[in-house]
Amino acid sequence: MPIEFQSDQAVLLDIVTVEEAETLLEWLQENPAAKVNLADCTHLHPANLQVLMAAKSGIDAWPKEAGLRAWLESALSD
Amino acid sequence: MNPLLEQFLSEARDFLQGISTKLMELEDAPDDAALMGELFRLVHTLKGNSGLFDFPEMTRVLHAGEDLMDAVRNGRVEYSQILADRLLNAMDFVGMLCDEIESEGAMGSTHGTDAARLGESLRELMQSADKAPDESSAPAAGTAADVETPDVQTSARLPLANIAEAARMEAYRRASAGDPLHWLAYAPDEQCFYQGDDPFFLVRQTPELLWGGIEARESWPPLADLDAYACVLDFGLLTAASRPELEEQYRYVIDQVTLTPVAPLALIVPQGDTNGGPVYDDFISDAQELLHAGDLAGLSRSVATMLELSNPELWVASALRWLQLVVESEAATAAATPAIVDALLESLHSMEVPNWEGVDATLLAGESSESAPAPASAPVATLSAALSAEECQALEAIVTAQRAVLSQPEDSGLLPGRIQSAVAALSGCLRACGDQTAVPSLEAVMAEALAANSGAALLAWLDERFPAGALEFTASDAQSPTQSAAESSLDHQSASAQASATSASAASTAAPPAAEGEVKFGRRAEDAIAGPKSLKVDQTKIDRLMGLIGEMVVAKNGLPYLASRAEEKFGVRELSRDIKGHYAVINRIAEEMQDAIMQVRMMPVSFVFQRFPRLVRDISRKLGKDVHLVMEGEDTEADKNIIESLGDPLVHIVRNSLDHGLESPEARADAGKPATGTLSLRAMQESDRVVIEIKDDGQGIDPEVIKRKAYAKGLIDEATLERISNQDAVNLIFAAGLSTAETVSDLSGRGVGMDVVRSAVENVNGSIALTSVLGQGTQLRMSLPLSMAVTNVMIVVSNDQPFGVPMDSVVETVRVPRSSIRTIKRSLATVLRGHVVPLKSLNTLLGIEAPHQPNADDELAVLVVRLGDETLGLLVDDFRETVDIILKPMTGVLASLSAYSGSALMGDGSVLMVLNVKEIL
Repeated sequence: MPIEFQSDQAVLLDIVTVEEAETLLEWLQENPAAKVNLADCTHLHPANLQVLMAAKSGIDAWPKEAGLRAWLESALSD
Repeated sequence: MNPLLEQFLSEARDFLQGISTKLMELEDAPDDAALMGELFRLVHTLKGNSGLFDFPEMTRVLHAGEDLMDAVRNGRVEYSQILADRLLNAMDFVGMLCDEIESEGAMGSTHGTDAARLGESLRELMQSADKAPDESSAPAAGTAADVETPDVQTSARLPLANIAEAARMEAYRRASAGDPLHWLAYAPDEQCFYQGDDPFFLVRQTPELLWGGIEARESWPPLADLDAYACVLDFGLLTAASRPELEEQYRYVIDQVTLTPVAPLALIVPQGDTNGGPVYDDFISDAQELLHAGDLAGLSRSVATMLELSNPELWVASALRWLQLVVESEAATAAATPAIVDALLESLHSMEVPNWEGVDATLLAGESSESAPAPASAPVATLSAALSAEECQALEAIVTAQRAVLSQPEDSGLLPGRIQSAVAALSGCLRACGDQTAVPSLEAVMAEALAANSGAALLAWLDERFPAGALEFTASDAQSPTQSAAESSLDHQSASAQASATSASAASTAAPPAAEGEVKFGRRAEDAIAGPKSLKVDQTKIDRLMGLIGEMVVAKNGLPYLASRAEEKFGVRELSRDIKGHYAVINRIAEEMQDAIMQVRMMPVSFVFQRFPRLVRDISRKLGKDVHLVMEGEDTEADKNIIESLGDPLVHIVRNSLDHGLESPEARADAGKPATGTLSLRAMQESDRVVIEIKDDGQGIDPEVIKRKAYAKGLIDEATLERISNQDAVNLIFAAGLSTAETVSDLSGRGVGMDVVRSAVENVNGSIALTSVLGQGTQLRMSLPLSMAVTNVMIVVSNDQPFGVPMDSVVETVRVPRSSIRTIKRSLATVLRGHVVPLKSLNTLLGIEAPHQPNADDELAVLVVRLGDETLGLLVDDFRETVDIILKPMTGVLASLSAYSGSALMGDGSVLMVLNVKEIL
């Protein structure tokens, strides 16, 4: 699984594919206060990104990969 | 090249031809709705076909064409000459792409712009449906015109301020180093996720990416209403890649991308806290002094000191950092543009965003007055601004060519011609650059040159107008008010300039091949059209050829009869030998001819095989099974009819294998097999037959289950149930009405599969055999004739009439003593090598009264035939030779006689009736 769902944190790992978006969305609907850990994420499909943006989830850890982080910061930080 | 692509290319040509024919016809009858409908269908089909391949440029143009035709068809847009022109132009483009694909196997990457332009020109006709399209307001490039130049005003409208300062500074440095800056806005289609696109991945791969940002298209709905799979993201990014690079990267979505060149000056937007911090009046005046004194190093030092003193969060600090950057890059390129620094200092004073308007003008003015190339530090007006690099090269090539033409030794009367053609080419160039005003001066020079009969005057004009390496002039010229018009007509004009340049070269005796850099797709009617290498022939024509060669074979077979008649009846042995000799020659030619015609009808089995990878993938996903498909021998060939008749049976078989044969990964693991099942399709040639083998390593067929099913459905009786062998039981799946699946799925299990398969195979004289090992897999083997054209039959005689029996069903011929024929329960039988063979009389079967004639030893002739898995003896009077015949199916009222599969004409002119053994028994 590219996403590990913990009690109050979703940990995104490696490449998060388009198939995960639905699961992520459902999980965030149930856990609206949950945070997201992107540290080990190398790419995520924009469907997932949309979900994160819409859910306005807090970010626990930004991706280690600088390129991805720059992109995500533009989208996810307010 | 794969056969599918080959077929596409050959069809595409037909379509293109059809489209242009229809367009021509429409010119005479613009209101013909039927014709319009046909045209639409052609464009539509061609577009659909092109979508199968990876040719986004082609599809895009065709899509635009299709939309336009649809609009015309529905009366929203009126048919016009211009419409026809543009559509023809677009089709030429598609034709050119086809040529390129055919010769190089792939399409060049440089067509993105052309495709977008053509597509736009077609779409434009739809938009401007109300106003009559105006020829002079040339299409397409209109929109491109204002984005080509990175002017500060346009750039300022971009959301550049969102970009982090560090990224903007980096961009400014890159621009100072001469890299083009582009702002790329990408708004992916909402449905793009469903097409498997990952726009984020695409933008992350952008070459020379400097900064990128993602924005939501609208505010987010509550999480419960969110559709995660409708893309509502917009991407914006800053890149230092060139336009062609970006077009290549985004070629699939070029219509969703807007590309705007960015003026580096627009990047200079100081940001930060505007409150607090003194306005350093002293510093500004000091700095201005240093600047005017040309002491950039000093200025840089003083800016650095100032920076150290200010809080980096402040707006002033940001402005200072920019100032430092600008000064540094100025120093590096050793070209002073004090205006920029001045403006920055001014803004530092006023605490407002620097006003570049004045700077821009100064820069431009500065450049037009100098004749040196523009300084690299201020690329605002570099050549790439107005003319793309490609156009620039073309222009340079044209000008160089004219120089070469004019500098040729003046030794003949050709000079006036040369001068005129050079002038024609140059005035084309001037028009293309939007510099109409220079044309009269050029003409004046031409008159002068002609009068002097020397190219010197013109050369001088050239040197003045286009100094070597200073094509920047054209750039700044193009910045004049006529710019947009010039730009919009540029493509057409440069094409005509090219054309005149080429004709100029042709006119002069030994002109260098100068202006061939760029090939345009506007073909002319007189251009040589490369003839297609393959012919598309109506199948009926081939069938006619087949028929003719059949008659030829028959006629040829008459020669041996003639020879024997000559010998026996007229006693001329020598003539008989000659006829036989000649027969051998004709025989050889006829056979070769027959073979050649057969070859025409041959098709590789890949024609049916190629649909399976997709089919297997879809079905196995649906069923949740892992299947590995292996295909072998796709290039094995067989007659078209055979191949075509194979399609449906194969699909049935493959579906059955996937549905019933292969198990789910879990079941496979339990059975100790690899989780991924293997399904192999193999085709091979065995003597004169094609064998196709479908094999899976699934669970196999359980004969017990089949037996019980068959019994339950009443297909076999109790006695059969007891004694039937496993192999025979497995073969029961070919019986009509048997389905082993417990439930009917939409894939298989309705009990209409395998019996249909069997009859389809048997219809083309094929046979099918099934072997299955429970738990290990199933293998189906279809054996089909290579060609249906020639049938090998054995001639038997009964009641003095010859009949043909296909050799496929003949097992052996035996003579059985009348004494060993027994009557068991009113039917005849004999024992042959320890086996009981039931006998049937052909005469009785055909309703002939006469009894069979025994030979001198009181033996009856028995033809043993195979019927399914059984053998059966057919009582006849005598056997004759076997012959190759062209079997003609029965036609007309005779078609209902199922006892005969057809008739054939024999060499002696008699008609041979060929029995359908299965039907009569």
